[in-house]
Formats: sequence, C-alpha cells, structure tokens
Amino acid sequence: MGSQEISIPAGQKARARAGFLIAALAAACGLGGCISLPQTDALRESPPQGLPPRVELTQVPFHLQDDFLCGPASLAMVFNAAGVPADVESVTPLVYLPGRKGSLQAEMLGATRRSGLLAYPLAPQLEDLLREIAAGTPVVVLLNLAFKLAPVWHYAVVVGYDLDKREVIVRSAKRSRDEWSFGFLEYFWKESDYWSMLALPPGRMPATAREAEYAVATAALEQAGQARGARESYRALLERWPDNLIGLIGLGNVEYGLKDLAAAERAFRRASVAHPQSAVALNNLAHVLAALGRLDEAEAAARTAVSLEGPMQAQARETLESILKRRASPAAATRP
Amino acid sequence: MFTRLISRLLIVCMIGLPFQVHAGLIGTDEVVSATQAAAARTTVASVLNRSDVAGQLQAMGLTPQAAKDRVAALTDAEVAKLAGQIEALPAGADSSVGLILLLILLGVLIWWAVKK
Repeated sequence: MGSQEISIPAGQKARARAGFLIAALAAACGLGGCISLPQTDALRESPPQGLPPRVELTQVPFHLQDDFLCGPASLAMVFNAAGVPADVESVTPLVYLPGRKGSLQAEMLGATRRSGLLAYPLAPQLEDLLREIAAGTPVVVLLNLAFKLAPVWHYAVVVGYDLDKREVIVRSAKRSRDEWSFGFLEYFWKESDYWSMLALPPGRMPATAREAEYAVATAALEQAGQARGARESYRALLERWPDNLIGLIGLGNVEYGLKDLAAAERAFRRASVAHPQSAVALNNLAHVLAALGRLDEAEAAARTAVSLEGPMQAQARETLESILKRRASPAAATRP
Repeated sequence: MFTRLISRLLIVCMIGLPFQVHAGLIGTDEVVSATQAAAARTTVASVLNRSDVAGQLQAMGLTPQAAKDRVAALTDAEVAKLAGQIEALPAGADSSVGLILLLILLGVLIWWAVKK
C-alpha cells in the first residue's frame, strides 16, 4: 500500500465545497436561531464543573495528512500521544481502505488494538470530550463536512479547549493547530452521532469510563490478540469495578493463555463467588483446576456448572466428561 | 461462482473461530454477548459474518492476509455492523486546503453567531 497515488475526485471536492456554502448559509441562518446545536447550548447554560478553564496538549505531535489519509494521520497522532511510535505510512496499511478511499470507524478501533492500545469510543457528549482532554488524552472525532445525504467524512484530533473562549483546539488535515468554536465543532460532529474515540495505553482508564463500555473495550483488546495489554486493562477494570463478570472471566482467560494457572484460578474463583449463577465461571474454573491436577475440586465445579441450566450447559457437560475420563485413567491425563 | 464459494470457504478456514482460547475454556466473548442487549449471536453467525466482511475488504483492495488480520481485530458486534454495509458506512477521508480555509471562515461565522 504505502503512498497512494490518488487525486480527489472532482465530484467529491465540489460536493464538499457546496457543503460548506450550505453550512455557511446555515450558520448565517443560525443567527436567526434556526440551527440546532443542543450540546453547545447546554454547555453555555451550565458550564462543566471541575474542569481547568484552559487545556492544550501541546505534546501531541502533528502528522500531516495526504489526500484521503485523515484516518491514519489522526491515529498516528493519538498513538504517539499514548507512547506508541507511528506515522501515516505505518498506520495506513492497518486502517486505510482503498476501495472506499477512506477509513471505517470500526477499523479505526481495530487498528488501535493491533497497535497494542485500548480503543475506547466515548459517549456522544461534548462534555465527555472536554473531560478526556483535561485528563491529558487527545480525542479523535468523526465529522461530516458536507450534507447528510451526500456526506464527506473526515477525522480530526481535538487536543485542547478554552472554556472562556468556548473553543476547542484541533489538529486537522494540513493544519497543525486550529481553533474551532464549540458550535463549529458540533455542527460537523453531530452528523456522525458525535462519534469519537480514545487510544489509551492498557491499564490507563478513560476519565469518563463507564463500566460496561470499558469492559467490552477490554475484551476487544483480548480478542485482537493483545494478551498482556488486555491483562493490564482487565486489572484496571477490576480495581474500579471488582465484580465485573467480563473482567473476571476475561482476566482468567488471559492468565490461562499466559500460562499463569494460579492467577487464572483466582480470577475464575472470584467470578464464581461474585456470580454463583455463571456457568462460564464454573466451567472455566473446573478446567483450570483440572489443569492443575486437582481433579476432585474440578469435578465438583464442573458438576455445579452442569446443574446451572442455560446456553452453556452443553459445554459444561463436555468439561465434566473430560474430567471424569481423566479420573478414570489418570496415567493418560496430561491434558483435559 | 465455484471459485467464489471456495474462496469464501478458505476465508472461513483461515479466520477460524474468534476467541479460540484453549480447548474447553469458554471465551470472554460469550460473556460479552450475554451481557449485551443485542440478539444472541451464535458462533456460526459470527464466523460467517467475519468471512463475509473479510471478503468485502478484499474486494476493496486488501490482500487476503491484510483482510484477515483486520477482521481479527474487530469485535463480533463491530463485524456484524460491517457485514453488508461496508459501502454505506462512513469512511473518513476528505480534506483540501480550500476546504480548510472555508472551515476557518465558517468557524469565525459560527463563533460570532454563538457569541452574540
């Protein structure tokens, strides 16, 4: 892939231009109050509490965007901010889709995970975005620069804000530092349903982290094959929310994969205590106990797992059978 | 037609089961999908979606290996959303200097409007 030899299609360019004219008209119209920027209005009426009035993450480097490569450029900036070396050239093969001449949202998250970082989509709130920046994390936003029906999508990185001037500071396309009013950002941002994401070193929690979303984001890191990163992230999750089932099962699975059976046992045991109805917790506990050679305990756990009816019952029964088979012929039992 | 079928089968084989941790352990994804409100996704559906999305990514100019690696980094929910939708979903891309100048102009406008 590397550098792409592409010129912007005239149609798309014209569409974007036309979009801006319309947007300018709409903005003029906004003077009359017919443009709706609900979050900007809400922030004006009740400014967010507990935030420093002005933050700029000057340490976030700028990567110049070549045509169509705003996705890779935006990711390279936030990867660098998270301590991962990257540039447009190295990120492009992870995320750029030639057939679309752009980068999909899901792949922005996937590329982040493949680079060893936790990808966290934020709640669709301008205030959450500001809180993340105050906590030192730059935010990638998806904007529509044209119309709803003929969109021109664009990624940019928000690296600062000023509550008094009611502005954000943005690195976008060929400009390393732009000041956009909250209303200006919201106008283009709301078309993507206020989509934004963070790229965080595993173990570091977003300032606005929500339990379910953080757990799912961590499981996604595990799925992407980043076992060590996922372990850090699960630990952070469980420190804040000690009984989270995804966290306990995920940590156990990761520890098992990393061959720390004692830690895996601890995690699955915690899961089975906090969630006695979880067949997954008991099934996996039974497996680890069997792998540790404690077949009595393993059998008991597997029997309890089978007794819990539900979608996991078939797998629990298989587990029990393999343990019983091992007990019958302990000599041939290197693996369950 | 036949080659298409074969290539899809090959993709399924290459991708394998996501979260295939270790024989007997139930993967974290089972817990994730159980806690999510979305309709329960079966493993079969997940694998089919993955092969579908990998095939589409290939059609969009990726090598088979790149398509496979990329799909592997996505969650079941993300893959389900992409399946059949890659043409339609937002793909962030555009920029040009003229655009940015207009952006700034507009920024001033809105800023003025909002300040007012």
